[in-house]
Amino acid sequence: MVGPIYIIAIALGTAFSLGFFKKANSNFSFAFMLFAMAFMTFISGQWLYAFLTQQQETIQIFTAGFKPPFSISLQMGLHESVFLSLINIIGLLAAIYLYDQLKEKGVQMMMIFVLLFMGLNVVIMTRDIFNLFVFLEIASIATAGLIILDKSINATSAGFKYIIATGIISGILLIGIIAIYYFAGSLFINDIIKLNLIYVKGGAVAVFLVLIAIILELKPFPANGWALDVYEAAHPGIGAVISAASASAGIFVLAKILPIVGDSGYYIIGLIGIITFLGSNLLGLKQDRANRLLGYSSIGQIGLLLTIIGLTPYLGDKTLFIAFGVLISHALAKAGLFWLAGIVNSEYIKGWAAIRRKPLLLVLMGTFIFALVGFPPFPSFFAKWELIMQLANNDKIIWLALILIGSFIEGIYLFRWFGYAIKEKNEDLPEFPIKLNKVIPVSIVAAGLYLIGYYTGLAIPEAAIINYIPLIFIVIIFALDFLPAYVKNSISILGLAYYSYTIIPAYFENDMLRFIFVVIFLIGGILTFIAGYAYKGKRRGFYPVALIMYVGLVQIIQAENLLQFFFGWELMTAGSYFLIIRGKKSMAHALSYMLFSMGGAYLILAGFALAQQGQMSLSLDVLNSISNNAFIIISLLMIGFLTKTATLGLHIWLPGAHGEAESDVSPMVSAILLKAGVFGLIILLISTIKNIETVSIVYILGWLGAITALIGNLGAAFQEDAKRLLAYSSIGQLGYIVFGLAMMTHLGWLTAFTYTINHFMYKAILFLTIGAVVLRVGTHNMYEMGGLIKKMPFAFIAVLIGIIALSGVPPLSGFTGKWLLYNAVILKGWYFQGAIAFFAGIIAFLYLFKLISSIFLGQLKDNHRNVKEISIWFIIPIYILIIGLMIFAAKPELILQPMGDIVAQYFPDGGLNWDGGLATTPIGNWHGTHIMIIVGVMFMLLLTWLVVLSRKAQKVKQFNIVYSGERPFTPETTHISYNIFAGYNKALGFLVMPWITNFWNFMSDIIHDTAGFVRRIYSGNGQTYLAHIIIYIVVVYFVFFN
Amino acid sequence: MNIDFNKLFFTFLGLMIVLNWGLLMSALMRKIGARVAKRYGIPWFQPWVDLVKNYAIRSQITHGVMFYLGPVFRLSGGVGLFLFMPMVFGSDLWTNFSFKGDLILILYFQFFGMLGMALGAGEGGQPHSFIGISRGLSQFTTIEVPMTLAVIAIAVQYQTLSISDIVAAQQGGIMNWTVFTNPFATAAAMLSVLGAFGHSPFNLVKAPNEIPIGPPTEYHGTYLGVLRTNAAILHVVEAVLFMNLFFGGATTWIELIVKSFLIYFWSVFVGMVFPRFRIEQSVAWFLKIPLILGIIAIILL
Repeated sequence: MVGPIYIIAIALGTAFSLGFFKKANSNFSFAFMLFAMAFMTFISGQWLYAFLTQQQETIQIFTAGFKPPFSISLQMGLHESVFLSLINIIGLLAAIYLYDQLKEKGVQMMMIFVLLFMGLNVVIMTRDIFNLFVFLEIASIATAGLIILDKSINATSAGFKYIIATGIISGILLIGIIAIYYFAGSLFINDIIKLNLIYVKGGAVAVFLVLIAIILELKPFPANGWALDVYEAAHPGIGAVISAASASAGIFVLAKILPIVGDSGYYIIGLIGIITFLGSNLLGLKQDRANRLLGYSSIGQIGLLLTIIGLTPYLGDKTLFIAFGVLISHALAKAGLFWLAGIVNSEYIKGWAAIRRKPLLLVLMGTFIFALVGFPPFPSFFAKWELIMQLANNDKIIWLALILIGSFIEGIYLFRWFGYAIKEKNEDLPEFPIKLNKVIPVSIVAAGLYLIGYYTGLAIPEAAIINYIPLIFIVIIFALDFLPAYVKNSISILGLAYYSYTIIPAYFENDMLRFIFVVIFLIGGILTFIAGYAYKGKRRGFYPVALIMYVGLVQIIQAENLLQFFFGWELMTAGSYFLIIRGKKSMAHALSYMLFSMGGAYLILAGFALAQQGQMSLSLDVLNSISNNAFIIISLLMIGFLTKTATLGLHIWLPGAHGEAESDVSPMVSAILLKAGVFGLIILLISTIKNIETVSIVYILGWLGAITALIGNLGAAFQEDAKRLLAYSSIGQLGYIVFGLAMMTHLGWLTAFTYTINHFMYKAILFLTIGAVVLRVGTHNMYEMGGLIKKMPFAFIAVLIGIIALSGVPPLSGFTGKWLLYNAVILKGWYFQGAIAFFAGIIAFLYLFKLISSIFLGQLKDNHRNVKEISIWFIIPIYILIIGLMIFAAKPELILQPMGDIVAQYFPDGGLNWDGGLATTPIGNWHGTHIMIIVGVMFMLLLTWLVVLSRKAQKVKQFNIVYSGERPFTPETTHISYNIFAGYNKALGFLVMPWITNFWNFMSDIIHDTAGFVRRIYSGNGQTYLAHIIIYIVVVYFVFFN
Repeated sequence: MNIDFNKLFFTFLGLMIVLNWGLLMSALMRKIGARVAKRYGIPWFQPWVDLVKNYAIRSQITHGVMFYLGPVFRLSGGVGLFLFMPMVFGSDLWTNFSFKGDLILILYFQFFGMLGMALGAGEGGQPHSFIGISRGLSQFTTIEVPMTLAVIAIAVQYQTLSISDIVAAQQGGIMNWTVFTNPFATAAAMLSVLGAFGHSPFNLVKAPNEIPIGPPTEYHGTYLGVLRTNAAILHVVEAVLFMNLFFGGATTWIELIVKSFLIYFWSVFVGMVFPRFRIEQSVAWFLKIPLILGIIAIILL
């Protein structure tokens, strides 16, 4: 094996030799330098491999043949090799990326570049504290050189500030080292550690100076104005090196000197870390410049790492895993993003809209953003999971909360940025050239994130059982993205069909509860995919993300432990986010969806963490035995799930997200996706059924569900946009489901299940049909449609059946739900909540009538005289669902009886009694089949009678009417649709004033204003920044020596 | 399902009785209205004349299938309510098919006809129809709120949702009637019945003189005949519903006729006295005193 000392030798040798090539071909010099970097990478990689395969013990290398303290010693162990490999790989890729710049600036810059990496390598390996200082200086000076070599005035100014700031910091470090040497008489770190200087009078100050200097190198908030200017002004290629390589080295140095400080250092580091994490992310909110935003995010991530180091006493032997997961995600993703910034070359984040001209780059950007925020399958996901679990196990609730808050804030600006990239207008943006040498490094780090993520997952036993095969299928679909849509559609349908075939039968045998949901998810998925055949072209990116959502949903069903559940939950969130943002006007709505989902997911995460506290298990069963803080845990989990069911207060994302989505996406995210929240809620309630706290929580939940039903339906009645109307309707319908579950009785749950199945069917029918109509007429506004019944009879019949079922009019299946609900409410004794739910049910007639009449009845508009029936590919799934709905209506016992058996497992008493088709409860009775027959026969008889009587009726057009004594003039003035419930609005509209939207806007404004205010500390003036550093040191000093 | 033709015959006979009684009630209503306005009014048999005339008109037009189906839905709604309503207590033959469903079925079946009619009228394309329907639906939502509370109150009181059982529980003397045992629920329901029957002040759905007759504006001839037939049936059946729930039901047809007359004419008399509300007024009205009465009925449970 090549000795680590050769890393230094090669770097140094290369740097010197490069001087001779001044006149030579710059391509040759570059190749020479690249070879050196590659060899350095090879050496560190070789050691890493040896350590990982446990062929090698940690070794000490003594230079000049003496043992320390008389010589400088280096150490090579697993940790060193990991960091060296990471830094050198980034260095190698950065060199490839910077090919043009390095060539243009010549050998001097190449020399500096190599020296920087030499400095970082030695900083990692050295065990000599003065040597550490020297190479930190080398790295700093080299960095400054790289910054200044960019000739812009900003870069020069930033480089100058950098030199001043690092100069001060080095001065402090040096004083500290001198003082340590004075007390310890050795510069060998291992010796210094043994002396426990922190307890020596005066020694503590020396240690403090070293510690604070290293911390200041890591750019803690708020003494980091100089660093932000560097990130903003430096070439993004350099920014990547500083953010990924230098910061990683800094973290390692901190970890290295930490034993000198002893246990008393953890607290202060944690404190500094969390302040940096929160503060930096908060200020990031107001950033609209891409590079500076990345700077804030980098500093934030380093803050998180500091926090993790500070929390070592509580994280125990998991610290390494957690820190590694966060660091590797940060380093690779941040390097990738900085490099992308160099390719896109847009100062403002809105300008990143240009990136989507190259889909590959957009995918890479998405990878980095999701990795930074901590989505699966990236390392940060597993690291954050472990971090939160460990914090909960050690009762560090405040830390846990602060970390989640910081992560959430980071998500806000990252996803806003990503949203701009996907959706902001990009027609006027300048073209940017793509060079292979710039794309390759970015692609490699992205691939690395996936790969490392996979292996990180294997390291956690609970995650190791996750089935990655569906994800591989998605990767294949993604690779086939160049194919036409119908091919990918067929493959996706086949994939889901095979998936269904492999898992559904087992659930049918063993677990009817999960069977219902898996059928909704997978069969629903297949049906909505059939509608996809209506789309021409390639529909780039649609199939992978839709499948991600479905795979996530199935993972939730299959989950055996909390981690697996959360994995599926996040996967589903990511997939649905991409589906939602595909809509034409969906940018803001997708962000809002993402933020609510992320907030909800973090609450679930916190809830899981607290629930498993002290149980030594991550199985879903831990929810059964929550003992401490049960009220808080159940509430956290519940609120988390309620964000997905869009319960009142957490619903404001839904109308826009569902309303603006594509025609076949709306049913996916409405009829199918919302059921994930329902499933979560069911799992939670099943587990906590015996928990005393649940009683008071479900009481609140009941009110919440009923009021959600009311407000959702009322909101729907005042919509003019057909799809938003259906979206509000979903809020209302989910309100019923939540209400039913909250009753915690047999009939209540049966009601909820009935509504779940019904809502899946009729909302899919309605959204598919209306979506197909929208595709034909090109507008969502109902008042721009009208009279389409004769053009689209199949669509009309579908909507008619859909609305009859939704409204609960007998004999269709909606009545099943209403009947159960009435019985359940009266038996439960929730009269007022029940009355509100019924009121909501009647309001449904308002919007359902508006929906069907405004679109299909009334006057046909002139521009729709030639529209055709909706696409056959929509009609097929719609009518399959209608058949299902009809079966449920005619033979309700087929579904209600098995569902009763499921519910009886949890609520054995108070179920339905069945006598053939006649269902009875202690108070009511109902025979679905017979009622359908009676109504059907009567209807046919009366129809025959009328047909006989008016057989000679003459057919006339709708327009053939007399209105106010005149023949009407145009369809537009004769079709009454716009604001038809104006009177109703006058009476009850105050209930749907956007109080809740205003509340969230207010919260958002407060956070943003705070960020804007705090941001003023960064004046851009170097002297101010120095003052910050000095003040910071003083403050930390007093805290440290409290 | 075994078909009992004897029962079917009696059910049909009951329907005819209800239809004719309904027609006579509408004649009486118009007569009373005329007398209040110091006019002489129509002869008592005028509704039959109108009905025959409507069914016999030969010139007819249709605006399309849904337009055609509207009246069928409407009449099915009325006949369906009749079919699921027990008419005369204690008689197996006059209870129709009420054992197939309960009060909830009745409450929701009301919408069957309304919704179908609304859609049929919608296809007519007449703006007055749309205006009438939007008002009708708006008003109906809040009419049902006090009604719902009253229904919950009596369902809890009698521990059943079966109308026959509710009637049975009120037998054995006038003091057993819900109106005395649960006056607040009855009061709430009797106020909401004012809206259900659609007389002034809650008659802006059809609003004569303003939007001709609202939803049925485009309907004529046979269609109108069907709608008039339904109106006659529906008025009686709804009155019978309130009779069954609050006034002890009926053990004979005579009792049924007397009670339904009084219930129906409660709304007619109120209508003679009060002028028409605007829609926002009528929507809000049901959420004031009737709602409070309903809430009191629930609180007193």
